[in-house]
Amino acid sequence: MNTKKFSKTLIGAALAYSISFLSIAEVVVVVHPSNDAALDAKIVQRIFLGKEKKFSNGKEVLPINQVPSSAARDSFDTNTLGRSSTQIAAYWSKLVFTGKGIPPKELDNDAAVLAIVADNPNAIGYVDSASVSGAVKVISLN
Amino acid sequence: MKKLLTIAALTASTFTAQAEVRINGFANLIGGITSSDDTVYGYEDKISFSEESSFAIQITGDINEKMTATGQILARGEDDYEAKVAWAYMTYQATDKLSISAGRLRLPLFKYSASLDVGYSYHWVNAPRAVYDVEFNNIDGVRFDYSTYAGDWEYNTQLALGKITVDNDNVKFVANNTAVFSVEAVNDWFKARAVYGTSKVTLDSAAITEAISVLNDLGLTELYNNLAYENDTSPFLGLGLEVDKYDWFVSGEITILETEKSFNPKSDAYYVTAGLRLGKFTPSVTYENFDSKEYKFLDQVNALPLPDANKAGIEGLVRGLQEGSFNKHNVITLGLRYDFDTNVAFKTDLSRYDNKLNDAETTLLRVAVNYIF
Repeated sequence: MNTKKFSKTLIGAALAYSISFLSIAEVVVVVHPSNDAALDAKIVQRIFLGKEKKFSNGKEVLPINQVPSSAARDSFDTNTLGRSSTQIAAYWSKLVFTGKGIPPKELDNDAAVLAIVADNPNAIGYVDSASVSGAVKVISLN
Repeated sequence: MKKLLTIAALTASTFTAQAEVRINGFANLIGGITSSDDTVYGYEDKISFSEESSFAIQITGDINEKMTATGQILARGEDDYEAKVAWAYMTYQATDKLSISAGRLRLPLFKYSASLDVGYSYHWVNAPRAVYDVEFNNIDGVRFDYSTYAGDWEYNTQLALGKITVDNDNVKFVANNTAVFSVEAVNDWFKARAVYGTSKVTLDSAAITEAISVLNDLGLTELYNNLAYENDTSPFLGLGLEVDKYDWFVSGEITILETEKSFNPKSDAYYVTAGLRLGKFTPSVTYENFDSKEYKFLDQVNALPLPDANKAGIEGLVRGLQEGSFNKHNVITLGLRYDFDTNVAFKTDLSRYDNKLNDAETTLLRVAVNYIF
């Protein structure tokens, strides 16, 4: 995002910049402890964009999103999906209205995501690294 | 409570088929006004909200694990918000890569065809009309959608087969044996698309039939058949390119439509657009060009073994018929999109429409609110 330096001169961008700066969170991807699928940044991206419907081990995948107002969502969309939340919404609007995809269900916060992921072997979500519990498996995307 | 229910539903789900019905919708409220009494896209020098506004609701039901049924009801301002069934189709997900849909569905003519009515999905108030303003976007038939990927590249192909019927205030025609095939290659920041279509088109116009009947009376059957728009092959070709580096993007599309053996002139159209993404703002500039202003069959008229006076009369008819469909214009648009929320966008587009047929330039200002749910 080196061009962000250039855009800082504009008021709108400067505002957006400071907002995203404030909301930066260290986000990690979490799955059920029994999930042995191979996962990297590319696969996680494909899963959350609805392009991949199964894990590498052949099991159905249930991606769990967070609501747009959450700090984790902003960080995940920007850093892992590489697009702003509004662009992701525009992306899904194309798929939804052509029957080609259903966006992941959105939950309110880290606790709700952790509860599902700890319970459902098909689930994959993301939370702030500070929220992680022992009941889920943390995936390193690097 | 809602959250608890969601959690319960998600937790309980072990991917048995759920009899789920999804309701989505979109709304585009668009207002526009021109600088003079010249009409552009239906807008005049008094503000109007009815030319391009539209509201729709879409319902999708899961029939079983592999099949869905989709219906979209769309009300357009230009039709006095009379609700019409825009789409009604069933989709069978044959494999992870292949889906087959049948019913009334969208033709894969252009890059933004699939989401053409969903203003939220693009940066303009409306998709560039030089390219997108065609008489039909839907087909009654079947469509195969195949997607795959290799390495960093994704490939999407669509093949639509069927029949198109257009019956509106401007024109009535039937396009039988329509086939449209599109291929798209996409990587992280680059997209290329090509489309080829063909159709057998018959135009229903008493005025045209009557005008050219004189040629038959004169025994000029070949010229009659060339001008008549009856079961004539209409090939359509389109190419699109896009570079999207997130902070900025440039894209364009070019289309060529020709019905060689009809009075209808060949048309070339293209647009190029570029924009920046500055936080919630997306300023953009777009140039569009449309050109269908080429006479056909004049050589054939000149070669007729007839006295010059008669030839002049016939040439007048042949020219007149084609001129009725002539159009040549370009449009420059400065646009600004503001993302108010992840389901609401505000937009404003300022366009300069340059009509090359009568050298009239008109300025059009449009504002829009796009909403999806």
